[in-house]
Amino acid sequence: MNQRWKNSVFVIPFSVIFFVFLLFPFFYAFYLSFFKITDLSNIFGGLKFVGFRNYEFVLRDKEFLYSVWLSFKYALLMIPLNIGLSIFLAMLLRANIKVNKLYRTLFFMPFVLDAFVVGVVWTILYAGKYGFLVQLLKPLLSTKVYNTGFLGNPSTAMPAVVFAIALKNVGFGTILYTASLNNISQDIEDAAKIDGAAGLKKFVKITFPLVRNTTTFLVITGIIGAFSAFSEFFAMTGGGPIVQRWGEPLGATKVSGYYLFNHISNLRLGVASATSFILLILTLGISILYSRATKE
Amino acid sequence: MKRTVFWKYFFISLFLIICLFPFFWMLITSLKPEGEALLISLPTRITLDNYKNVLLQYNFYRYFLNSLIVATISAMVSTLFASLAAYAFAKKEFPLKNFLFWFFISSMMVPGLLYVIPQFLIVYQFRWINRYEGMIVPHLANVFGMFLITQFLKDVPDSLLESARIDGAPEYQIFLKIVMPLTLPVIATVFLLNFQFHWANFLWQLLVAQTESMYTVPVGLAMFKSAHEEAYALKMAASTVSLMPIVILFFLAQRYFIEGITQGALKE
Repeated sequence: MNQRWKNSVFVIPFSVIFFVFLLFPFFYAFYLSFFKITDLSNIFGGLKFVGFRNYEFVLRDKEFLYSVWLSFKYALLMIPLNIGLSIFLAMLLRANIKVNKLYRTLFFMPFVLDAFVVGVVWTILYAGKYGFLVQLLKPLLSTKVYNTGFLGNPSTAMPAVVFAIALKNVGFGTILYTASLNNISQDIEDAAKIDGAAGLKKFVKITFPLVRNTTTFLVITGIIGAFSAFSEFFAMTGGGPIVQRWGEPLGATKVSGYYLFNHISNLRLGVASATSFILLILTLGISILYSRATKE
Repeated sequence: MKRTVFWKYFFISLFLIICLFPFFWMLITSLKPEGEALLISLPTRITLDNYKNVLLQYNFYRYFLNSLIVATISAMVSTLFASLAAYAFAKKEFPLKNFLFWFFISSMMVPGLLYVIPQFLIVYQFRWINRYEGMIVPHLANVFGMFLITQFLKDVPDSLLESARIDGAPEYQIFLKIVMPLTLPVIATVFLLNFQFHWANFLWQLLVAQTESMYTVPVGLAMFKSAHEEAYALKMAASTVSLMPIVILFFLAQRYFIEGITQGALKE
């Protein structure tokens, strides 16, 4: 019995950090979401109980509701694009030969890079007037987009961020799909061939359903990613450009992660905590709904 | 047949070029004199001035050093903590073992942004704002890494550990001399993933670093970017400095990166 307790020594360092910096913060954030911080120098004492008022404030804040809508929009653009490109590349690079492995590695490389810095790099490609892409595509663009650049125009800013990040992440999905494509047994492929299924029909009816675990994984991580996305927007758009929506000036790319960041950086910590719990429930809710709906 | 193969690779190569083009353009721009930074052309003369200015005049050498210190120490310590815990979870019995393991794993469901505020307040109470401790310590419990090492260790035969125990080796020696070397591939993976995470732990470092001397590379880049919107060539030199270490690590150890990241995804 004594030995059993002694064995737990190995988990102590990890557990201490976990309890102090992950578990306690989780509950403390929940606690804080019912308080207003009155004295920042004494954050454990300078608190005033406000009940559900922080939640009420956030749920009635048009800026918050709009930011949630923008995160949805981001997810709706990003997830299909990412999945489409990834599975397409995975089908093409499926065979495990040297060339394909090299390609997969090269596609994967940007995935490990910092989204913030990659965003900064894209700002010079997307810049207006003298920017690379507006000069390249000049004949195709309206003068408005030409002058502001892709990130300065309300209708192009969001798709531009999606495009940049989709290219950065495509290698991840490709590698996952390659692995699950190669797990499909040869029998099924042969049976499909005998039945005369080929091309697009075979893909839609047989191949795509067989890799649905990977698709589910990418959708769920995509949803979580969309509701916590921040760095790429911070780098590329700063939440802007400002548009007039719902009778208020709102940021056209100020997604929910950005909304949360603004509360944190303005030290409205009670409101920020309430925001993060609302977002947590939202993400978990959507993820559960999605995985229920796809479990045939 | 041959022709379709050609077109297939032609098409894939084209797409790859689009994906990697931003990094190529970053590099090209960083080597240009500022005056021609935005021209669609190769540099008329290649200059390293941007790097010199960014590193010395704008202190990126200091930010780089900070990033290196934070990422290296964090990666080393969190990998050590993770492998110690993993060893116990995979090979030992202790009270509440299964409950704890399940508990740790389920925390991966919670998005990191939720922890930021309380973590910041705790760090504030510890007077770790603007210090390395504040950047490093809150992220030393790497659940995902611990999970990877545990799975790997479960496949190591017990007989290897038993024979050492019979020889009378103390526990810490068994851990250092047998467990660590056996798990080296997965430890390398966890180390690299941790290093990469801390190298890009932008939001947290932005909150903790308050004075310029404590900036890490991404924080320095953010500040530089907002102060010098128009300095394109310098910005690209700073971006290159920031991305280069991870690119190099990736190509040196791509197998560990790819296996680590995808294994985790496939097991979830």
